[in-house]
Amino acid sequence: MLQAIEVSYRLPEGQEILRAIDFRLAREEKVVLLGANGTGKSTLLKVLNGLLPPTTGTVCYDGRVIDRAALREAAFHQRFRREVVLLFQNPDTMLFNPTVFDEIAFGPRQLGLDDVDGRVHHWAGELGVAPLLERTPFGLSGGEKQRVCLAALLILEPKVLLLDEPTANMDPRSTGWLVDFLADLKQTTLVTTHNLSLAGEFGDRCLVLGEDHRLLYDGPIQDFLSDHDRLTAANLVHRHRHRHGATEHSHFHIHEWD
Amino acid sequence: MKDRLLLLGYAIAVIAATSVHNPWWLAAGLLLVAVLAGRQAPTIGWRALRAVLFFSLVISIGYAAGALFGQAVSLDYLILVNIRVYLLIFLTFTLAAKIDILRALSFSRNLTYLVTLVLSQIIPFRRLFEDLRLAAESRRLRRLRLRERYLQSAAAAVHLFDRAEHDAREIALAMRSRGFFQPDATDNAPGD
Amino acid sequence: MHIPDGFLSPQTYLPAYALAAGGWVYAARELRRRVDETLLPRLAVLTALAFVLMSVMLPLPGGTSVHASGIGILAVIFGPWLTFAVVSLVLLLQALVLGAGGVTVLPVNALAMGLGGSVAACLGYRLLAPRWERAGLFAAGWLAAVVPAAMVAVVLGLQPAIAHRSDGQPLFFPFGLSVTLPAVLVPHVILGLGEGLLTLLVVSFLRRR
Repeated sequence: MLQAIEVSYRLPEGQEILRAIDFRLAREEKVVLLGANGTGKSTLLKVLNGLLPPTTGTVCYDGRVIDRAALREAAFHQRFRREVVLLFQNPDTMLFNPTVFDEIAFGPRQLGLDDVDGRVHHWAGELGVAPLLERTPFGLSGGEKQRVCLAALLILEPKVLLLDEPTANMDPRSTGWLVDFLADLKQTTLVTTHNLSLAGEFGDRCLVLGEDHRLLYDGPIQDFLSDHDRLTAANLVHRHRHRHGATEHSHFHIHEWD
Repeated sequence: MKDRLLLLGYAIAVIAATSVHNPWWLAAGLLLVAVLAGRQAPTIGWRALRAVLFFSLVISIGYAAGALFGQAVSLDYLILVNIRVYLLIFLTFTLAAKIDILRALSFSRNLTYLVTLVLSQIIPFRRLFEDLRLAAESRRLRRLRLRERYLQSAAAAVHLFDRAEHDAREIALAMRSRGFFQPDATDNAPGD
Repeated sequence: MHIPDGFLSPQTYLPAYALAAGGWVYAARELRRRVDETLLPRLAVLTALAFVLMSVMLPLPGGTSVHASGIGILAVIFGPWLTFAVVSLVLLLQALVLGAGGVTVLPVNALAMGLGGSVAACLGYRLLAPRWERAGLFAAGWLAAVVPAAMVAVVLGLQPAIAHRSDGQPLFFPFGLSVTLPAVLVPHVILGLGEGLLTLLVVSFLRRR
């Protein structure tokens, strides 16, 4: 469905962020994208969303190359933007309407869909933000903003959801809710996280970006999570000393950074 | 010291380049700066050309067009002003490539801190701004109306202000916890 | 306004530096009196903010856009002296680090945008806001675009009179006021409408919370 072919991305200043990334997402597949900080997870999602053009390589959606020419075509641009949506890590960046209602209605209004009111109320209900519809998005908490953004994306009825650290702004209760919510979605999802204890909840397959900005692993997530050598190579676990009573030893730790 | 001398030399050179009105002297100055720029001279020269080309062309063509309306137009002026403009931008780019701005400002501790903080703060602000731009693009399904584009621009500014408020508070706390604000630690510390 | 170096005479930029320096000393004293020890970090963050604020887009009809200045917003929220300090720092960094906008133009731009623009914005806002808040905000943005443009146009337009050869040939900027005033002012009177709208939107958003 969505495919990266030998995708590399280099900043204008020359720093390499992604190196020869190659994978394909199948329809309705749930995939987790793992990697330590600074390995290029967010950049990869932006490249997949057609926002940043790969320096070399191509991104394909439904057999069509996503490049400037394709996105300049109004009909295809609209279809791609509607079917492949990206939830930014910082929900603030996505919010710009005067009220939560307008925020969620922004997509359907652009498309000229009928019954915008009904659609907004439906998705606000699904995401639990119905009581906030008259509020201004700027005044919401991080978790509320995240839900409003999700409602604004899901109302488009997309086929592929790219989610960048969706739990980063959430408290444990909201995190639990989001995990369940995403599990029930029919769409193809690609979720980035550096939170290993949650990774298994977001999908069965995982992609791992290494610190050399290459794809280090692509396969079943449980195999990866039980492979200490690979986890250490990806800088997702570390060992350090600690004490149990009088004895001191060291072993692998998985640390929550969120 | 070297950087402060560079800054001083630059100031003198700028005043000289705007006080001399003989194109030959200015051309000689340009040659001298190019020698000082050394191996970077071609890159600096090219960047300098691109930086002033538009403005200089508009002014030069506008001035030359005066001839069509019977005004006195002189080739000398065009040569003089274009050499001068190019010399000054070349000089500035050469300085920017050679100088360590923080060392050049080291005569004032507060100014050094200020510029250090600004330079480190610009990076996250730029990153946030780039994300705001990409997020707006990601949510755009058709050509937006003027009203919608204004809302997006305004929201971008609001997020930048929010970020500024938050960061200013955090940095002040961090500086306080590191003892920056002890009265004897700053030059000309505010007494009140 | 990105005028390269070489179009302003030393008879213009040296006095402008003296004037601006006076303004900087006064602004520093004023800010130290009013703001507590957190002045330095606030100034730094606001400078970074102003730097990036100038990349925010001012949409024009037909899909194109130009960069906003944000002076009106800064002036209404932080007052003229802080705005003057912040805009001056932005211009200094642009000139010395990025090589954008010249050092001879710096004091003129600092006085025009940082002081003239922000003082005009504050006056316009204070005059109108008590009765018409929104009109006040709009006027602040419009004035912050138009007043600096007028000041720069006057400074440029005076160059042929200030610095010329004995035969009348100009040495720096070649056009007089009859050219610079309409050429600079007309676009800014129109762009100012956008700047006014942006100021109105941003400040109302910021206050609504």
